[in-house]
Amino acid sequence: MDISQTRIPLSLPGFEHIKRAWNDAHDTFAARLNPGEYYVTKNEEAIYTTLGSCISACIRDRVTGVGGMNHFMLPASVGESGWKAAGLGSSTRYGNFAMEHLINEILKNGGSRKHLEVKLFGGGRIIANMTDVGLRNIEFARDYVATEGLLVTSEDVGDVFPRMVVYFPSTGKVRVKRLRSLHNNTIVEQETKYLHTIEDKPVGGDIELF
Amino acid sequence: MTNETKNIMTNNAAELVRGVGNLVTLPDVFIRINSLVENPNSSTADIAKAVQQDPSFTVRLLRVANSSFYGLSSSVDTVSKAVSIIGTGQIRSLALATSVASSFEGLSNTLVSMEHFWRHSLYCALIARIMAKKIGRFDADAVFTAALLHDIGELVLFNRLPKESQEALLLVLDSVDELPIYQAERQVMALDHAEVGGELARQWKLPLMLAECIEFHHDISAAKQYPREVALTHVANILALMAEIHSNELDDVAPIDLRAWEVLGIKAEDQDELIAAVVEEAQEEIAEAESLFLGK
Repeated sequence: MDISQTRIPLSLPGFEHIKRAWNDAHDTFAARLNPGEYYVTKNEEAIYTTLGSCISACIRDRVTGVGGMNHFMLPASVGESGWKAAGLGSSTRYGNFAMEHLINEILKNGGSRKHLEVKLFGGGRIIANMTDVGLRNIEFARDYVATEGLLVTSEDVGDVFPRMVVYFPSTGKVRVKRLRSLHNNTIVEQETKYLHTIEDKPVGGDIELF
Repeated sequence: MTNETKNIMTNNAAELVRGVGNLVTLPDVFIRINSLVENPNSSTADIAKAVQQDPSFTVRLLRVANSSFYGLSSSVDTVSKAVSIIGTGQIRSLALATSVASSFEGLSNTLVSMEHFWRHSLYCALIARIMAKKIGRFDADAVFTAALLHDIGELVLFNRLPKESQEALLLVLDSVDELPIYQAERQVMALDHAEVGGELARQWKLPLMLAECIEFHHDISAAKQYPREVALTHVANILALMAEIHSNELDDVAPIDLRAWEVLGIKAEDQDELIAAVVEEAQEEIAEAESLFLGK
């Protein structure tokens, strides 16, 4: 196809800052998510990200095809078993924040709660001899979707690999590729940088919870 | 980056390798055995003596000789027995293989852990050795060592050009893991880890077979005297990635150059079965091999 004739589809308001480019391998435009970002679209385009111990939820309305992806983790400063007991404490609040923003944007753009389907990815244990932060993120995400009564249609979580996730909200198709360990440190560094930003700036108490 | 620095960099694989000269050196025991093996006047007794001068290599050699790696029926309790049973050329390969990981300890970097780097290298070595035995007409210990060293240029790049190397790694991820790392390196640095590794092998005066396997494992048609060994290293490298990510799908890893199968004489209909068997065998052997060769 003649790419020069193809214009990048308009993003939904609020997502203009997300980096997008033509992707030859998947023959589509694709949005690239960094840790902490999320993206919702009504277009036939892909969203991709690399995950170490972070989690991505891929959520779409299976009727209208509007959908998106987030990329988050819980702050690691929370104690061994403290985050669950903390309930809506600062750590889980960060996860809720990431999940709710994604879902709210989907609903705002023609999604309907009863038609939502969820796929969960990530939470790898890519650093040996460390508390399993990946597992903590997985447990949070599973708890969240269960509490919200959302339908999980697939997941690929845990284990020791980083992952490349490519999601097509319009069809619900997803491609998960395990990455070789050569990429571990790069991904850990990106996630650590992100972790510092959320630890330095805890989420305020003014988030609407539903 | 200015044009000037780029120009300097286009030709400086040799310069980069010279820059690490004081950080990493070939193990003495390999140098001594290597010159004895290449000297037609030396005897197996001379080689046994050279081995014994290095007590730590002596221990490692006897461990390998008695491991399932060789699967010998009788126990090998002396160096001279090991040299005569295993062979002098093979002892030379082992001298390099069992010491190379510790030789490179001084070449630190923050981009990849040494554990991950050597596990991939060792998977490649095991797979090359297994395939060499299945296919036949290979020096299995020599290709094991060549495959173990195939990415050695990566450690030089990561140490000398860490920022550019990281940029190359990010390019790979940005491409949805479609762009091969050596191509990303060429885009950023105008050279790649295979070229740098080949240069290191030459400066170290390693056997030509090793140098070709290291330099051409991503570009097999450039092989000169050792096309079969180069093709074997190329295939083993890709299968090592499958072993590493516990996958049996070729789609999950970089593509294999189909000409490599031709050079190795393996027909399309036999490839899937061979791949599955070889990957599984390497996964079974990796733990023992890590203990034998990486001193874990």
